[in-house]
Amino acid sequence: MKIVQEATAGTLESSDLLVKVQPNQGLEVVINSDVNKQFGDQIRKVVDNTLQTLNVTDGLVIIDDKGALDCAIKARVECAVLRGSDEMKTLDWSKLL
Amino acid sequence: MSDFAELSGIDYLVVNINAVNSDNALHDREQIVQLLKLSDLNLDPNVTYFIVAKKGDSVIGCAGLDHNIIKCVAIHPDYQGNQLNLILMDKTIKYAQDRGYFHLFLYTKPENEPIFRGCGFYPIVTIKGVVVLMENSPVGIKQYCKQLTLQRKSGSKIGAIVMNANPFTKGHQYLVDYAAKQCDWLHLFVVNEDASRFSFADRFKLVKEGTAGVANITVHPSSEYIISKATFPTYFLKERAKIDQAYMGVDLLIFRNYIAPALQITHRFVGTEPYSEVTHAYNEAMRYWLQDAGVSSAPAVRLVEIERIKEGDNIISASLVRNLLDAKQYDRVKTLVPSTTWNYLAKHLN
Repeated sequence: MKIVQEATAGTLESSDLLVKVQPNQGLEVVINSDVNKQFGDQIRKVVDNTLQTLNVTDGLVIIDDKGALDCAIKARVECAVLRGSDEMKTLDWSKLL
Repeated sequence: MSDFAELSGIDYLVVNINAVNSDNALHDREQIVQLLKLSDLNLDPNVTYFIVAKKGDSVIGCAGLDHNIIKCVAIHPDYQGNQLNLILMDKTIKYAQDRGYFHLFLYTKPENEPIFRGCGFYPIVTIKGVVVLMENSPVGIKQYCKQLTLQRKSGSKIGAIVMNANPFTKGHQYLVDYAAKQCDWLHLFVVNEDASRFSFADRFKLVKEGTAGVANITVHPSSEYIISKATFPTYFLKERAKIDQAYMGVDLLIFRNYIAPALQITHRFVGTEPYSEVTHAYNEAMRYWLQDAGVSSAPAVRLVEIERIKEGDNIISASLVRNLLDAKQYDRVKTLVPSTTWNYLAKHLN
């Protein structure tokens, strides 16, 4: 799946995160988190897993995390990616479960 | 009082700062001006919309939008230090997106940089003690420079010119020819904003046609990082003749720190400018920001000023051409522009 347009999901409020996606050649992920020291590795793992499950191959993903839980991170990333891709019709929704 | 209690009962709304049709609008405007004053800020004339946080009847926070540029962000001292700035910025970013602006710039004072880093903004350049320009992408300018790097040309003397060419005159043509002769390669950037009399598409085409005889040149459309509304808002308000030194530094430092290294530019060429006060002051500022060792660790870019050529007693400039067009003195216009530009003008005379 490719990111073909700019899109966002989430907010900058506490315990949430703002995910921005935009077109890019190859996959690039930038994570900026208030709790990077404690949970940076875990956040990256969740983001990478989510992107992998959705099979995102091209796109720039920028994350501003305000201490969100894993489930929130997964949901926000999925949402931003789907908004930024053009494969809503062909998407295998069962993969999102 | 807990953060939660303080932040409850706050409304967020959009205020058109130029609306004068109701007492409410005037009341909001007055409150915004007062709030900005508390943060030692002035109401920027380019800001059209404010996102405001209101508690009851009082504006306690505001963030201004000028197209894709956020400025005039202030929060009342009583409400600083909690989450209000995050929520306000979140609303502002969303509002900008709804209007189609994803790539955002932000101006703030250097001491507030950490606050906006927390909102997803990354610094591009800082004018010490005055202003910092940020963008909402950690890779924005880096990606742009990466693209520029692909157009790099080898040589020990690489020149650059940035011009609006509104429209392209014999003066521009002379400057380009002169610079190209002096350099191994010349990168010419045409200002890419539709804020001038002639559209970008037309200006770009006329520059291309007017420089077709030059072998060692690349004509680039400029970007948001070179004399744009974001990097140099006052450039497009020439009639005010009010030049903001800080903003000039922003545009020039971006050129020195990012653009010049990407293309290995060693020299920047400009025409001397006796008519337009803004451009004249800009040339003065260029010398300082591009060459002074104290303002940047990036290599200096040598400024080369070239005296403008004359036609009769008049120095050829685009502003003169525009004035003559207004006065319908087309015979004189014809002597000041290359045939390519004249053909275009003749076609559009009425």
